[in-house]
Amino acid sequence: MPIEVQSEGAGAPRHGIVLLCGLVLFLFLLFVLRFWYLQILHGEEYTDISHANRTRTERVYAPRGLILDLKGRLLAENRPAYCLALIREDCPDISATLAQVGRWTDTPLPLLTAKYEQDIRQVQPFQPQLLVTDLSFDQVMAIEEELHNWPGISIFIRQRRWYPEGPLFAHILGYVGEAGKEDLEKDENLALGDVVGKSGLEETKEKFLRGVKGINQVEVEAHGRQIDKFQERPSQAGSDLTLSLDIDLQRAASEALGEESGCVVVMEPDTGKLRALVTQPSYDNNLFTAKLSQKDWDSLIKDPRHPLQNRGIQSVYPPGSVWKLVMAGLLLEQKISPAAGVTCSGSVTLGTHVFRCHSTHGWVNMLQSLVASCDVYYYEMSQKVGIDNITRFATACGFGQRTGIDLPNESRGLVPSRAEKKRRFNEPWQRGDTLNTSIGQGFTLVTPIQMAVYVGALLNGGKIMKPGLIETEPPEVRGELPLTASQRDFLVEAMRATAESGTARRIARPDAVMGGKTGTAQNVRIGERRLKKHEMAYEHRDHAWLTSWGKKDGKTYVVVVMVEHGGGGSSTAGPVTVKVYEALFGPPVKPPAQPAAQAGTEARP
Amino acid sequence: MSAMDRRLLTHANWSLLFCTALLFAVGMVNLYSASAVRGEAGLRFLPYFDRQIVWGVVGLAAMLLTVLVDYRHLRVLAQPIFLLAVVLLVLVEVIGITKNGSTRWLNVGFTEFQPSELAKIAVLLLGASMLARRKGSLGWLDLFQVFGVCVIPCLLIFLQPDLGTTLNLLLLLGGLALYQGIKLRVFKVLCLVIPLSLPLAWMVLLADYHKQRIMTFLNPLEDIKGAGYQIYHSQIAIGSGQMWGKGFQGGTHHLSRFLPEKHTDFAVAVFSEEWGFVGCVALMALFCVFLLCIVNTARDAKDRFGSLICAGVFFYFFWQILINIGMVVGLMPVVGIPLPFISYGGTATLVNFILLGLVLNVSMRRYMFKSH
Repeated sequence: MPIEVQSEGAGAPRHGIVLLCGLVLFLFLLFVLRFWYLQILHGEEYTDISHANRTRTERVYAPRGLILDLKGRLLAENRPAYCLALIREDCPDISATLAQVGRWTDTPLPLLTAKYEQDIRQVQPFQPQLLVTDLSFDQVMAIEEELHNWPGISIFIRQRRWYPEGPLFAHILGYVGEAGKEDLEKDENLALGDVVGKSGLEETKEKFLRGVKGINQVEVEAHGRQIDKFQERPSQAGSDLTLSLDIDLQRAASEALGEESGCVVVMEPDTGKLRALVTQPSYDNNLFTAKLSQKDWDSLIKDPRHPLQNRGIQSVYPPGSVWKLVMAGLLLEQKISPAAGVTCSGSVTLGTHVFRCHSTHGWVNMLQSLVASCDVYYYEMSQKVGIDNITRFATACGFGQRTGIDLPNESRGLVPSRAEKKRRFNEPWQRGDTLNTSIGQGFTLVTPIQMAVYVGALLNGGKIMKPGLIETEPPEVRGELPLTASQRDFLVEAMRATAESGTARRIARPDAVMGGKTGTAQNVRIGERRLKKHEMAYEHRDHAWLTSWGKKDGKTYVVVVMVEHGGGGSSTAGPVTVKVYEALFGPPVKPPAQPAAQAGTEARP
Repeated sequence: MSAMDRRLLTHANWSLLFCTALLFAVGMVNLYSASAVRGEAGLRFLPYFDRQIVWGVVGLAAMLLTVLVDYRHLRVLAQPIFLLAVVLLVLVEVIGITKNGSTRWLNVGFTEFQPSELAKIAVLLLGASMLARRKGSLGWLDLFQVFGVCVIPCLLIFLQPDLGTTLNLLLLLGGLALYQGIKLRVFKVLCLVIPLSLPLAWMVLLADYHKQRIMTFLNPLEDIKGAGYQIYHSQIAIGSGQMWGKGFQGGTHHLSRFLPEKHTDFAVAVFSEEWGFVGCVALMALFCVFLLCIVNTARDAKDRFGSLICAGVFFYFFWQILINIGMVVGLMPVVGIPLPFISYGGTATLVNFILLGLVLNVSMRRYMFKSH
């Protein structure tokens, strides 16, 4: 149509149209290129950033494993504790709120503010920040009443470790505490606020008890508020730990010790399992799981009787006469006849020094020397074997080294030697040192648990067992006594005789076979005459030892009792040992005369 | 008359209408997603979607009204409309409503009215009518006349302050002048003078927060928490869309509120996150076809005034698309200019439809010159 041809493009400047088309092309290319750059070239980077921006990893509490006694009774459990936390994003006036929290909980405001400022960096937005732990029930009630006036404050429940038996097992269980800086650096699985074992089995069995924390992926929006949550890994509770210890026996042993400082070790010789491990004085380990006050800490630290010390494994003592069991073993090993005798005149003089015995025994052989605990026999005999043999043999029997018990900070004790004396005092070994060593005095230091392991090895066929605390772990043999069966039997028999008629006769009971060896370890050099217990200051008094075993109804136990500064081995450690065996075997009963005949008469009408 | 009406309908730029409908639909779908935020209870919707539908309907009605009147009458009406716009802008300065530090609105009883939106139409029409009278390329005098008049509403809008609209108007006029043609000598001088005068504009005209935005644009990572936040998160949202996008309502980044202004200025970031590179290319293609439809009418217009109107509308949309997407993808500083049909905004939608009505008007009447 002519009209249309005429009007076509009449109004448009030609270059203008080119310009517009060019601009459109420019627009298209520019942005397609830019979108390609952002979405294709760097798409994955941005995806990662986007994901990281809106997800947080949340760790879920894993319950710590319980600790049970041999009979399945609770020794360590998790109890809910009330805590107070603040979500700062929800709190309109933080300083006023902190002041109120201080009033509620009787916490000084500067302390509270300091804690708040210190932790603030580690807490994500909209996450509760812990302010006060372990509120009392009354405090919780008071706070709940006013809670609606204080937005941002919340009370929540956290699991806290609780030890129902408190002081009775404090040294064995230890305690847990908040992971410190060192713990966090050592173990990357730990996070701020986590609880770790700080002492005792809680420390040594940490990996076993802790469990594995769960992980939640929390999706948050731009301000940090939670939108969605999904579980990446469920939390896995820690494993329960069944101990070989028995609450009843532990309590009985503790009561047997009474107010004395000291320890009781009860062990099954065949397996090395401990049935009781009591140390006194003790402390309440529950104090440590809460916030331990400075006052409580000071009183524990400054107590002259050192309640934090686990005397069974951490304290070392001169063994005194119980060492004669080791010395006699050495003499047997050195083929010295048990029949060979020595005449005890009450003392031995070496140079100008007089080495005393506690009595005048006359002629004694090896058996009598053990039963009567004659020092002179060992003064004489030790000079035949010499210090180097003593060092070697005692070391082979497990002394001077850790027994490997699953508790931290075990002591090694000390087996004296020439080298050791040279190193420590820069003095040569003297013959008199050998004499002192032979009766468990001088430099020799042992732990009660070492003593128990040695006596156990005499009974179990010569196996040096690791003292076991965990019932479920298999027994572990750590070494072998360098003694033949007959040599071991001789020593066992000597102990039986000592309990029957010797220094340990206090522990004899008619319904069981008993064996024992007493020891009275001197703390100070013996003067012109032995002082009586009441004549000495407490810290100068002798340590009382009694190592013993008892067999009844096919069961054998080794019991080592050590009473610190208790005086005589028999007089102080004896009654304690007796009570422990009563707990083990029941009260002693006289075997009824002719039980068969009695039953026969009663059966007849 | 019925024959003429039929011819009007036959010649109408149907493809432009179709593109517009498509763009509006894409905008609505995107707005549905963009107006949602995620909470623990799931998605929560803000009421933008429903409002935008209402504005769409109003806009359509306004477009039909615009189409009815032969655009040639607008040549006469251009001056009164312009005067009205200027008066209203002055009124805004006097009795306007202030929000967020800007005085842009007049209270007209049932609703609030933004005279700067009317000013866009007024400047476009007056500019087109003034330029249409010039024969050949523009000299200094012509440029001063056109800009001298149009700079009045621009200044008033700048004082509100509303840098985005001011910029849009000036660029629109500049585009119109280029479209009409500028004498080569003049063009060369302008190419020198305008870049040189930019530092002056920086010192005199720009407020501190404008300068801040430009500095942030140049180095967005410097201030991620503050001024760079939008740019940073906008690029994360876009980039994380990758090739195929996260799907409708699957844009985790924007749904988690990391993207501010996501239903208005940053709406295209939401689109990019959910529809990916493929969607973005398609959207860009759609925008370009849309613009080419306008160019088509500009080319076919029967007179210079009609062609200039179309060119004006072209530039109006072109600059908005360029500046808005440029800002969202981090190629330009943050300037508050919405993306036509994709961003939420009532008056903007209305104006968009009215301007499209102008183009349709021109396209319908392109063959009628000789028939009367």
